[in-house]
Amino acid sequence: MENIKIDATERTPAIDFNFADNRFSMRGESYPEDVPTFFGPPLSALESHLRGMQAGYVEFDFEMIYFNSTSAKVVMKLFDLLEKTAGQGVAVTVNWRFAEDDDNMQELGEEFGEELQAATFNMCALR
Amino acid sequence: MSLAQEHYRIRKLLEEENVLFCYSGPMNEALLPGLGQLVKQKIAVETDHPGTVQNVFSILVEQIQNVIRYAEDRDTQALGQGTLTVGRDGEGFFVTCGNRVEIGQANRLREKLASIRAMDREELKAMYRQILKGEVPEGSKGAGVGFVDIARRSSQPIEFDFIPIDSNYSYFALKAVIRPN
Repeated sequence: MENIKIDATERTPAIDFNFADNRFSMRGESYPEDVPTFFGPPLSALESHLRGMQAGYVEFDFEMIYFNSTSAKVVMKLFDLLEKTAGQGVAVTVNWRFAEDDDNMQELGEEFGEELQAATFNMCALR
Repeated sequence: MSLAQEHYRIRKLLEEENVLFCYSGPMNEALLPGLGQLVKQKIAVETDHPGTVQNVFSILVEQIQNVIRYAEDRDTQALGQGTLTVGRDGEGFFVTCGNRVEIGQANRLREKLASIRAMDREELKAMYRQILKGEVPEGSKGAGVGFVDIARRSSQPIEFDFIPIDSNYSYFALKAVIRPN
């Protein structure tokens, strides 16, 4: 699958999906004008990539500064997808990176982290 | 009253209500980033607590996006009309937003907001998760993830009010207060 690299804007996050290395990341702010238009293509590419995987290693970095409630649905979808992938036998690691003094992102990370059992979840405070 | 007198009267009124920022008029997505950054900058000058700045900004985004999506007060360009204020509330800040809603919708909205207002932190957290996971049917009492998000970021229960305007419409206003935690 062709890698996906989207630069950040002031209201959409940088997306870096490297399918060859199974390394994925989403960084920045997210309150897109139209959530399905922005997230639809990368999300469905990731879904079809992970669907058949039964072994190997996948790492996903979240490094969000802010996301609105509509984008939160996308984050939840990604967590569900990653947990499902781990359930298929893939070693999945999810890193939640947040600024050390950002209580909001820390709390959200802890909450979303509760969705993961089969996948490994790391909270990473950034100085 | 002269032009300047009339204008000054409006400005004075806003100052008396401790308003730091006010916008009234059509709202669309293009308005949001500029206005949001501006308010963030202004609040950042007023407080050294980054979480507070972020919460004011988040609530503003949800409020404006609600108007864009649901306000029943559209001009010929189909733009939602809303009035937003951000101001000082003691140590913290408030964000209020008002718009016209159709009466039937007002009744549904009132029920939804009353149920959100009655929830404690844990219940709000559980509701937020349920909605994100798509486990709450559309149109059910608590649904409306934007309002749940606003309630979670508020330091006290959200305030809301409706008044009838005419036989078809009500005016709806919502206030959230954010204090440094």
